Amino acid sequence: MTTLLDPTPSLVEPGERPDRRAAALRATGRWAAAIGGALVIFSALLLLRGANPLEALGDMWVSTFLRGRSLAEILNVMAPITLAALAVLVPARAGLTNVGGEGQLMLGAIAAGGTALALDQQLPGPLVLVLALVAGGVAGAAWAGVAAILRLRFQVDEAVSTLLLNFIALDLLLFLIYQPWRESAAGQPTTRELADAAKMPVITGTVINVGIIVALAATVVVILVLGRTRWGFRLSVVGGNAEAARRAGMNVAGLVISALIVGGLLAGLAGAIQFTGIEYKLRAGFGLQIGYLGFLASWLARHRPLPVLLASFVLAALAIAGDSLQLDAQLPAASVNILTALILAAVLGWTTVKARRA
Amino acid sequence: MSLIIDVLTGGVRGGTSILYAALGETVSQRSGVINLGTEGGMLGGALTAYIIAAETGNPWLGVLGGGIVGAALALVHALLVLWRGANQFASGLMVLFLALGLTSLFGASYVGRTITPFTTWAIPVLSDIPVLGPVLFDQDPLVYLSYLAVPAAWFVLFRTRAGLLLRTAGERSDALTVHGADVRVVRTWAVGAGGFLAGVGGAHLSIAYTNTWFENMVAGRGFIAVALVILAAWGPVKVMAGAYLFGAALALGPALQARGIPVNQFLLHVIPFVLTLVVLAALGRRSSNAAPAELQRVFENGAPAT
Repeated sequence: MTTLLDPTPSLVEPGERPDRRAAALRATGRWAAAIGGALVIFSALLLLRGANPLEALGDMWVSTFLRGRSLAEILNVMAPITLAALAVLVPARAGLTNVGGEGQLMLGAIAAGGTALALDQQLPGPLVLVLALVAGGVAGAAWAGVAAILRLRFQVDEAVSTLLLNFIALDLLLFLIYQPWRESAAGQPTTRELADAAKMPVITGTVINVGIIVALAATVVVILVLGRTRWGFRLSVVGGNAEAARRAGMNVAGLVISALIVGGLLAGLAGAIQFTGIEYKLRAGFGLQIGYLGFLASWLARHRPLPVLLASFVLAALAIAGDSLQLDAQLPAASVNILTALILAAVLGWTTVKARRA
Repeated sequence: MSLIIDVLTGGVRGGTSILYAALGETVSQRSGVINLGTEGGMLGGALTAYIIAAETGNPWLGVLGGGIVGAALALVHALLVLWRGANQFASGLMVLFLALGLTSLFGASYVGRTITPFTTWAIPVLSDIPVLGPVLFDQDPLVYLSYLAVPAAWFVLFRTRAGLLLRTAGERSDALTVHGADVRVVRTWAVGAGGFLAGVGGAHLSIAYTNTWFENMVAGRGFIAVALVILAAWGPVKVMAGAYLFGAALALGPALQARGIPVNQFLLHVIPFVLTLVVLAALGRRSSNAAPAELQRVFENGAPAT
């Protein structure tokens, strides 16, 4: 049998035991090579498309990081991505694969939107906002709860059920905005816009909305809960070896349910923030791919909460960079997904040395 | 009566792109690799086929090109998962984003371009059979090709040496190693072949079914294909039935609206997803027992054992 591909040689020789600083240097080098390689391939593709890569990348850099409002925009976009990443990270601690952030986020947005739009004419704005966030979290948790029940009662794998539930959530959103919640039969299929008083406030003196503070607070809570509580400890035992956890008398079913539900709650919160802080109305394409971006952010960070912040920041910056590509270089904004994917590929495949091949 | 024929015809027409992709995913999953990048493979196939059909006027070349691009994208997944030990779900989604970006970059100038698409071609005599005739035998050539692809996939998987190697890679990779074959090579071929079929599925979507190109036009069909394979318990014939079911659910809304029956199409669109979950729940253990053993390991820890 012929070999189709030779295994790529690993960057560190097996058996070699580099000291810590050299290892850190190597890791940095690999990350730099990953990002550099991604930029080179992306430039080649832009060239192939007839665009000037140096100009496009230069404009992208300037308008993503050096323009006045751009850092604020990145932080605003980063908030839901961070929460969606934590929604993957917590279940992953218990060895669960939550591919359903997208749907849980959608349900969170539907509940937040339904609550806020029903009440924003009667109640004071801040109260409406809090109720919307709570409703979003609860709805996301309930949606993940469906997957938890399917796993425990019916042995349906959560990776499959959460993926399917994404499409059910999307259909529910489209159903609502095409008929019952539609603002006007003549216009675009969207709900009406949230009243200004109930929108997520901005941090005084900036255009950064409070969503990022919610996301940072959630990250701190996740770090503390996973690292310092019995529940967090038990999750990692279940994730490490469910059978051992069962023998030690742990309630594995309860832990699996709670991990998924907490994940769903975080994703639902992401949806509520996307609605009250960024989009203000439900529409087709609402929050598109944030759930999947969160999944990738969690994997980029190898399911560790602090690195999740960095990964979410990078993915958010790339999303903003896409807008610049559209405005400055007249290339489609979604082209930037190439760069996102190449960096991910490099990180997934080339930044850790694995002892494979038994 | 005409409603039933319309829905069934639409089910076959609209289900064919899902059918090709799900057939490819069956091949891939039978070898022990799940590829969420199928959605991306379909996108790549759809745009490539559209560009080639627009530039050369030959839709068959488009199908070939679409298949090749689908295979190339799947091989990126294979490279990461099999040769670099990446998580299968994460790598699959990465391939989706790669395809979204590439098709957005290279597809923008083809939005609104006209092409020479496949046209329906009624098979003499057979197309005159009541009900079945118009549903099955008044379709485009890629639909007819899929009638051959399904039994061919079944035959290759279950009646040839290559199929045996492939299924062994999915069930007991250690046995394959003992036999002297390289599990990763077998799986790489399987994933690549699966990607080719996903690309052909995308080609059907853009140059036989909708005859148009727009960004992200696959709209979840690739994910449907992945779920469908599990619902169909990794069998090509059941995959075919499932694909037509999804296709019919997509066709029902427009068919009712065309008859002046006001119905929210998303209520109908959601049926196959709910049905899939209900069936999976009803099968319970039996469904996961039908899974290739190595695939179950993927669900447990995200990476295949090699």
